[in-house]
Amino acid sequence: MSPRDPRLGTASLLVVGKDVPRTDAVPKVTGAAQYVADLHLPGMLHAAVLRSPHPHARIVSLDVSAAAALPGVKSVVTGADTARRKWGAFRPDLYPLAIEKVRYVGDEVAAVAAADPETARAAVDRILVQYEVLPAALSLDQALAPGAPLVHDDTPGNVAHQFGFERGNVDAGFKAADVVVEGTWESARQWHTALETIGCVAKWDGGRVTMWCNTQTPFLARGRYSIALGVPESQVRVIQTEVGGGFGGKSGDDNASVICALLARTSGRPVKLIHTREEEFLASHPRMPMRYWVRLGFRKDGRVVAKEIKMWADNGAYTGKSQAILGAASVRHDALYKYPCVRGNSTLVYTNLVPTGAFRGFGNPSADWAVEQAWDLAAGKLGIDVLDLLRMNAVDPGDVSPHNHKITSCELKQCMDKAAALIRWKEKRKDHKPGHRINGPARENDEPTRGLGIGCSVHVNGRRSFGDWDGSSAIVRVNEDGRATIITGEGEIGQGNLTVLRQIAAEELGLAYDQVDITRPDTDLHPHSLGALASRLTYVAGNAVKNAATVAARQLLEAASEQMKRPVEDLTILNGEIGPRNGAETDFKAVGAVVRAHIYRPGGQPIIGVGTFDNPSEFPDHNRYGNESGAYNFAAQAAEVEVDPATGEVKLLEIAAVVDCGTVINPATAEGQVQGAVMQGIGLAMIEYFDWWNGQPTDPQLKDYPIPGAATMPKLHVAFADSYEPSGPFGAKGLGEIGLDAVPAAIANAIADACGVRVYELPITSEKIHRALHPERYAQEKLAAPAAPKGGTWARIAAGKPSGARPFSPEFVFAASVDEAVRWLAAGDSALVAGGMSHALRRERTGYPQAKRLVSIMRIPELNEFSIDARGVLRAGAAVRQQKFSEEARVRKHWHAIEDAMEAVGHTRIRHMLTVGGSIGPLIGGFDLPLALLALGGRVTVAGPAGRRTVTLEEAFQKRFARDEMAVAIEVDMPPARTGSRFFKYMARGVLEIPTVNTAAAVSLNADGTCAAARVTVGAVSWKPVVIDMIELAGQRLSEGVLRKSVQCVGAAVEPMSDVRGSAAYKREMAVEFAARALISAWKRAQKQ
Amino acid sequence: MLVKFRINGDPAEVNLKSGDRLLVDVLREDLRLTGTKHGCGIGACGTCTVIMDGYPIASCLQLAAMCDGADIRTVEGLAGTATLHPVQQAFVNKSALQCGICIPGHVMAACALLERNPAPTDAEIRASVDSVYCRCTGYVRILEAYKEAIMLARKAARK
Repeated sequence: MSPRDPRLGTASLLVVGKDVPRTDAVPKVTGAAQYVADLHLPGMLHAAVLRSPHPHARIVSLDVSAAAALPGVKSVVTGADTARRKWGAFRPDLYPLAIEKVRYVGDEVAAVAAADPETARAAVDRILVQYEVLPAALSLDQALAPGAPLVHDDTPGNVAHQFGFERGNVDAGFKAADVVVEGTWESARQWHTALETIGCVAKWDGGRVTMWCNTQTPFLARGRYSIALGVPESQVRVIQTEVGGGFGGKSGDDNASVICALLARTSGRPVKLIHTREEEFLASHPRMPMRYWVRLGFRKDGRVVAKEIKMWADNGAYTGKSQAILGAASVRHDALYKYPCVRGNSTLVYTNLVPTGAFRGFGNPSADWAVEQAWDLAAGKLGIDVLDLLRMNAVDPGDVSPHNHKITSCELKQCMDKAAALIRWKEKRKDHKPGHRINGPARENDEPTRGLGIGCSVHVNGRRSFGDWDGSSAIVRVNEDGRATIITGEGEIGQGNLTVLRQIAAEELGLAYDQVDITRPDTDLHPHSLGALASRLTYVAGNAVKNAATVAARQLLEAASEQMKRPVEDLTILNGEIGPRNGAETDFKAVGAVVRAHIYRPGGQPIIGVGTFDNPSEFPDHNRYGNESGAYNFAAQAAEVEVDPATGEVKLLEIAAVVDCGTVINPATAEGQVQGAVMQGIGLAMIEYFDWWNGQPTDPQLKDYPIPGAATMPKLHVAFADSYEPSGPFGAKGLGEIGLDAVPAAIANAIADACGVRVYELPITSEKIHRALHPERYAQEKLAAPAAPKGGTWARIAAGKPSGARPFSPEFVFAASVDEAVRWLAAGDSALVAGGMSHALRRERTGYPQAKRLVSIMRIPELNEFSIDARGVLRAGAAVRQQKFSEEARVRKHWHAIEDAMEAVGHTRIRHMLTVGGSIGPLIGGFDLPLALLALGGRVTVAGPAGRRTVTLEEAFQKRFARDEMAVAIEVDMPPARTGSRFFKYMARGVLEIPTVNTAAAVSLNADGTCAAARVTVGAVSWKPVVIDMIELAGQRLSEGVLRKSVQCVGAAVEPMSDVRGSAAYKREMAVEFAARALISAWKRAQKQ
Repeated sequence: MLVKFRINGDPAEVNLKSGDRLLVDVLREDLRLTGTKHGCGIGACGTCTVIMDGYPIASCLQLAAMCDGADIRTVEGLAGTATLHPVQQAFVNKSALQCGICIPGHVMAACALLERNPAPTDAEIRASVDSVYCRCTGYVRILEAYKEAIMLARKAARK
């Protein structure tokens, strides 16, 4: 047991530690909560931003006249309209709008305010910019090469920041080491992907501006915006709206709010600016990728004796908070284990890429990605179970790190033990040799193997870095109705801190939780505070609120003492009443009555407690020496994975996350923080990455950058260490970030344990593992020179048309008949619309199609028909929603591959919006339904000016449809007796998206069990799907071996393209693998028919 | 063009300036029903989920013009004046929310499932939760909220 607060003991806590209802729950479930995009002010304009299409260019000329002339446009601003003042959290290097140069794809060049969003977007497309394209530094290597292009002319070598340290004698340490491990790990960009994008509504009133922002840090934002706008701090009023997720991405480093305020000033009207999802990917500040070299030295018995790191971090084009992130990533980890000496050298490097910045973990996930894997390597080399090795070296309370981080409360070993117990580490490792199982090259038909991994982390509770005050101040006012109000500038971004702060105040005041209210941040009204960063709110803001409540409680007692004529020390506040300790119920007086009597009298005074708390920490020096935080939180995360050697797929089976955050003030929100952090760690590790070309993601949408969904989540165990932090409010520490930090390393360690493959570069992909397991299969790989992406979002952005605004408003008609729809099509200026999916995707990706008329086919009666006739022919009209197939029992019974395809579509919402026509019409083999139909020999009926024709789907894919033809219906015969079919959709990232490869097969058997017919189809790996009738199998007795051998021809038939879902070589491998799986499964189903 | 539909039980008429306006924009801008959120614009995130004629749809993909004659329900239409809908109450009871931006989408997806299928399997629940992204919670409590909602609905039915 850890020491308890001697003053209180757990039993006396009435509100702290309880699952009280969240403050913000009801408005959030009813839709009443007001996010920034929900605000509407009278006369409000809408903004759009023109961004650089080049990673590095000089602006030769800028002509906004055509934009300004568009009716409805009220203001256009460029850099020339600004104070030409650079701003930034640590190293001011960012202009609100570009001056002379642009430095990344997405850099803000100009902005428009107009009466409605469409007009603003259309106006942005009319701004003419002439650029002189400059050579760009598009990676760490390019930026650090001799003679590299300079991102900022005043920064030689592109080094934005650099520092080094040696604490203790590291050379002597390594000399004494028996075992040394080292390696270089690369971490990755990760976008916050808050489902609410960055936004602002700004309004000027004379020389004062009010900015409704979804910022995490209202006061820090106010300070920075005042510099960028050139007005004094007190004249910038930041009001925090509801914040739809922050994770570090809304901490006031972006230009969006500043541009919004500029437009509001020049237009004289309120202006709303909301990032599109695309802008959020192009120009918010994702996690900073790092190249992290680490070397560790150990004695034979496992004691660590020395550590050295060298690190280079990709700052992107502007610095934001990256300088501080560099510091955290360099020194924080040294407060985790008992390192006697450490040496480091860290460099922050400018590149012509999207500026990076704060993201939950703040550098620690990159450090942990490297160092926690190095420890795992060491365990293997030392022959010690990694759990025992980490435990042996873990810091204890009272330890001081080489950087003077003073460890107060610390239950790191307890975290490890609990995590190990939850995942049953010892039991599962019983048959394990200590260290790592190395399988050697994987063999054909290898079964999936399982492995365990662990990673640990340490985090701050607030961090002294924004000037020498890591503080918070709060006011607690007690009202004459007996309720208290907390007045604080620390806002809620979803973590639950409004709830936690109310619990702390209620506990301290002796009031019930529901008797305490709390305000939302407004920098005009509230005392100074720093906001949601560095896991500081529970600890720093919690202490400030507690201190304010202490003062208010004292005032209450003094007032009651005067009124009741009893000494203050005899009185206590209990559940909203004040009376003598151990007094009778009748001696108690309601708090409200005491307050009323205290205020409403001659010379009356309010009950107002003001409390401040400054983190008991040190401002670190240039080389990051200094105790950053008054307390540290700790975590251990254990992961169990299963690796399929045939595909490289990693299945996450379980994760156990145990956190030492001191006293848990609110169990539900605490668990929620860890659960969410683990999920984001999984995303960072395995799911969230883009294809890049010339310094930009090729398709900056949630399609190419999926985030984990519910189906991704493993079995998750979350627990807390029994812990108490003496300097925390009721013993509490923070926990917002720590649940994420070590997740990628724990997963990588588990993968190494499972199959012997060590991944050094994030993200962990199935392909990387497959390549490492089967190097021989890639030996002949011919690497095509990377080619520019074709069309789509990339082309639009590269053309400097960021908005994709439509040039006109199309009309809309419901076609009453196929003939009418065909007539519209023949006119050449119309587009068919059905369920919605493909239509809207086109709009987002490429700008609006040039159609003047949208023709809905959904009310054409015959297109809504769905039938299975007496001969067993299934017919479905083009307007039939795919959900229909899922609800039809006969489909499930006979056309298995269609049922599989419907499952693979994902869920009811998509199935309901996807029509038969929408999925067949474009003839895309990567779609689910057409591929399944191909395997089953489906046909399609099309109508055109010349009438109707019915062709096999195979023929349709070969010969395509004419431009003026439309799909009317599909039909597919009842499969013969003893037929099985199967559809597979292989999504290498394990989340719902466009498949890496999809396959389908149908196998029919003769009465004697021999093969009558077999067909396999493969999609998403060629322009056209591949259809192979396996005639050589006819009459043969099938087996898994025979079928596997027979599909080898698929490898030669496909022509895959490399993209974010896999390289061409990997897709070829997977095409063969999943063709085999489809055939084998179809054969097995056929046997059961 | 004039489009008529029912919104949360009430008749609505919206004059569309353009044939390509999306339902999410009509809800948020014309009808000021801002509980429905715009998250990605490509039907991937599900925060714009509403129920149309009994099925969940992505209102960011739905042409408003095609909603003529439809029955549309949004998060604003669920709660009574004094009571929450059982699904909403379940999300509150289970603290199944953090920043809240996705919650209207999750609540509507849950309603759509449970109205058609009051006793879903775990797999069906998981698929429904998987249809709406949440960047905060890790989904654990949202899965629990579905079960709580089923329980609350059963309790209410027994009364």
